[in-house]
Amino acid sequence: MKAEISWLDDPQTFRVNQMPAHSDHRGYATVAEADTQKSRFVQSLDGQWAFAFARDPQHRPLGFYQPDSDRSDFESLTVPGHIELAGYGQIQYINTAYPWEGKHYRRPAYSQGADQPEPGMFSQDPENTVGAYVRHFTLAAGLRHKRVSIEFDGVEQAMYLWLNGHFVGYAEDSFSRSEFDLTPYLQAGENLLAVEVFKHSTAAFLEDQDMFRFSGIFRSVRLVAKPRLHVEDLTIQATLTPDLETGEFSAHLALSAAEKLAGSVTATLFTAAGEQLWTTTQAVAEELAVKATLPHVHRWDHHDPYLYQLRLSVFDDAGQLVEVVPYAVGFRRLELKDKVIYLNGQRLILNGVNRHEWDAQRGRAVTVADMARDQRIFKAAHINAVRTCHYPDQDLWYHLCDRNGIYMMAETNLETHGTWQKMGVVEPSYNVPGSLPQWTLAILDRARSNYEMFKNHPAVFFWSLGNESYAGDALVAMDQFYHTVDPTRLTHYEGVYRNRAYADRISDVESRMYDPPRDIEAYLQNHPAKPFLNCEYMHDMGNSIGGMGSYMALLEKYPMYQGGFIWDYIDQALWVKDEVTGQPALRYGGDFDDRHSDYEFSGDGLLFADRTPKPALQEVRHYYGQYD
Amino acid sequence: MANTTKLNVVYGDVTLGLSGPGFRYIFAYDRGGLESLVQDGKEWLYRVPTPAFWRATTDNDRGNGFSVAAAPWLGADMFRTCTAINVVVDGQAIPLPIAPENNRYTAKETATTVTVTFTYTTPTVPATTVDVAYTVTATGQLTIAVHYAGRAGLPELPALGLRFLCPTPAMGFDYQGLSGETYPDRLAGGQPGTHHVEGLPVTPYLVPQECGMHMRTQWVKVTRATTQNNSDPDHQPFQLTLRQAAHPFAFSCLPYTPEELENATHMEELPLARRTVLTVYGAVRGVGGIDSWGSDVEPAYHIAGDIDHDFSFVIAGPVAR
Repeated sequence: MKAEISWLDDPQTFRVNQMPAHSDHRGYATVAEADTQKSRFVQSLDGQWAFAFARDPQHRPLGFYQPDSDRSDFESLTVPGHIELAGYGQIQYINTAYPWEGKHYRRPAYSQGADQPEPGMFSQDPENTVGAYVRHFTLAAGLRHKRVSIEFDGVEQAMYLWLNGHFVGYAEDSFSRSEFDLTPYLQAGENLLAVEVFKHSTAAFLEDQDMFRFSGIFRSVRLVAKPRLHVEDLTIQATLTPDLETGEFSAHLALSAAEKLAGSVTATLFTAAGEQLWTTTQAVAEELAVKATLPHVHRWDHHDPYLYQLRLSVFDDAGQLVEVVPYAVGFRRLELKDKVIYLNGQRLILNGVNRHEWDAQRGRAVTVADMARDQRIFKAAHINAVRTCHYPDQDLWYHLCDRNGIYMMAETNLETHGTWQKMGVVEPSYNVPGSLPQWTLAILDRARSNYEMFKNHPAVFFWSLGNESYAGDALVAMDQFYHTVDPTRLTHYEGVYRNRAYADRISDVESRMYDPPRDIEAYLQNHPAKPFLNCEYMHDMGNSIGGMGSYMALLEKYPMYQGGFIWDYIDQALWVKDEVTGQPALRYGGDFDDRHSDYEFSGDGLLFADRTPKPALQEVRHYYGQYD
Repeated sequence: MANTTKLNVVYGDVTLGLSGPGFRYIFAYDRGGLESLVQDGKEWLYRVPTPAFWRATTDNDRGNGFSVAAAPWLGADMFRTCTAINVVVDGQAIPLPIAPENNRYTAKETATTVTVTFTYTTPTVPATTVDVAYTVTATGQLTIAVHYAGRAGLPELPALGLRFLCPTPAMGFDYQGLSGETYPDRLAGGQPGTHHVEGLPVTPYLVPQECGMHMRTQWVKVTRATTQNNSDPDHQPFQLTLRQAAHPFAFSCLPYTPEELENATHMEELPLARRTVLTVYGAVRGVGGIDSWGSDVEPAYHIAGDIDHDFSFVIAGPVAR
């Protein structure tokens, strides 16, 4: 297959030769290895890559992925990281309008008619920057003679991949893991990996989040080997019966074999203390399921995020251990009953925040230390819930939320704000995805990536269809998708408020943003159909968070009021050297000669961009503490 | 032995001087206010205290248009005219004691209490007045009462206070009140207690703006170690204490005026810190928080321009030696 640059222009081409999305479990060779979480089957490709930058597709280095290509002018770039923060390409912050505002007139493909595909919009875009990445690798011992795939955890915004000169595949969706099978093209000794990253594609219309606009390989990249028998996918359900004591556990497995699909799988549940609770063994098959009913299970919640450990041990038909897959399991009962959401029989109160991934040095390439600190701040401020605004986060974040009992609204990577709301007015004349069939599959793919990757996390309570993308049949299809694959969680979408024609079909909850308390009260007093939550409230821009008590008072009066998520967790601003004093300074939108911009609107956090708390955090700690 | 029951009063040609053990205060008729506040030999004033009406625009203010609606108060914060001065000695109003009226006094005048009231007229349309009355007793204690005269047609106030500009930046301050930065609509999380603040921190909001407010304060003690007095080699820390009168007050203690904060788009644009800007507030507008593009502060936390406002507080005299 040949890579086509025209894929950038086609909303119907968003994944080529990608492996199907699956759960975020990891395979290990032995139990001991699983305990250390360092798998011999994994080889990191983070670090220095050779790199060439082009200001537009016309100037990109054609054929740079060929082994004999002259790459002597390539420079070096750190992966993960944003191309712009390395000095290539202009930094820009903009909120709702598209980044090309005032520079290019654009309507999304097919939004003005099925006969208007808008060819060349991005493939011939004179400002669509391109990063050409090259990396040599030799397989580590643990990966040799096995099936090997490559995982890109985040590449913004469209990427083409080659190995040893062979085209491997294409991916969009900046914030979901993209995985490709490298096995057919691997060679002994050194291999040449090449990635071409385009800043914009039709995905740009779907990724109009209120954030700095970056490009590049900004999350980790790794090679992953599959042993002879491999757990491809794992779907865990761990719920409680209505007595809130009895655990119902099931795990569905999909397995693959390099040659012969034969052997056995032992599934064992351990307590947090390591005591074996239950075990079963089944013959290996392409698909298999195990189930257990467990009396007196330890419930998982914010205060006591108790996690059992599931261990899957895969043996070949000679009885040799081939793969070990561990996964943390939390039992909880989430239900919508009499129009109120309950967790383990208690009304759910969301003391939440919206959290963009942000680091003032590294942009959205956040570190483990950033995440650990965020979890500590959450705990100290009695924050019990997080909305992953407005894309899937690094997978470690979901594990940390499992461990620390942080309830998650897991958002699909979707925001098309600029296509339907202009200068505060709802004007959806070129809205995507709307009900356009040409855009529907792309957003369903984003939903599937979100679901498959994070479906096993007890912390995830809500699948959110994305943010501010108006309403339409495409959103209905997404809502149906989530409900079809996952009967154990709720769907969330704020667009339910924007177009009531879809009210019954795109969200299990009434979700609004920035409604004053009196308007929320009016909803709650007038035969509300669904429980209410603020997907965004208390806009903490600058010196703010006044009047929070009026929201918290609604908790006392209305059981159907379930709290919400403060906007937002951390200011988006970047450390630069002040050109006058030479001292470090935090800069925001418009400070990079970036126009059109939304300037300081990037800074709405409970924390300053350097992760120190704003004074208002003590107010949040007080009120959230009262309902913790 | 110093007189501890009577104030020494100097009926000058340009000023009224009051002194006692460890203090000397000068009220200047030409400058229209308290020009000098010296305790233990240390000057606390760089310019006369003035009514404070403005706060540096918050992001929420900008979004909901409050700064535009309240813009006349920015002018009043920067410019005002002292249009009347009244002096009361031991409860008796006296004619303003300037020449030749002051020829009837001597070099040995004393009093138990003296109240000097300055009336400031704002450049707003319509204009209004603020009276600032300083009552001094023999211990050097000043009780300061501020009266704002409401006028129909005046917009809501961003703030109402009295601003002291000290000659050099403070080392820090201690206060009894609520922890952290608090506002009328954001103080539930403030922990009551005694708090120390090192230096004069400006809350580093991305765009510098109103910050550093401390609500419900019983007292604040500001510590400096430097002066502008060329003959004073001493760098030992010294302090000035403000206490509540009938009711707790709000204050901020920053190195900048609201206008300096207002003009900066980034922290690094703020000038080098040279002063202490200590403002005592009788009324503080809430900061709001519903959104940053239109929603107003909750009504309970507005400051009406068309009704009277009064507040008072005390500056403690020097510690008796």
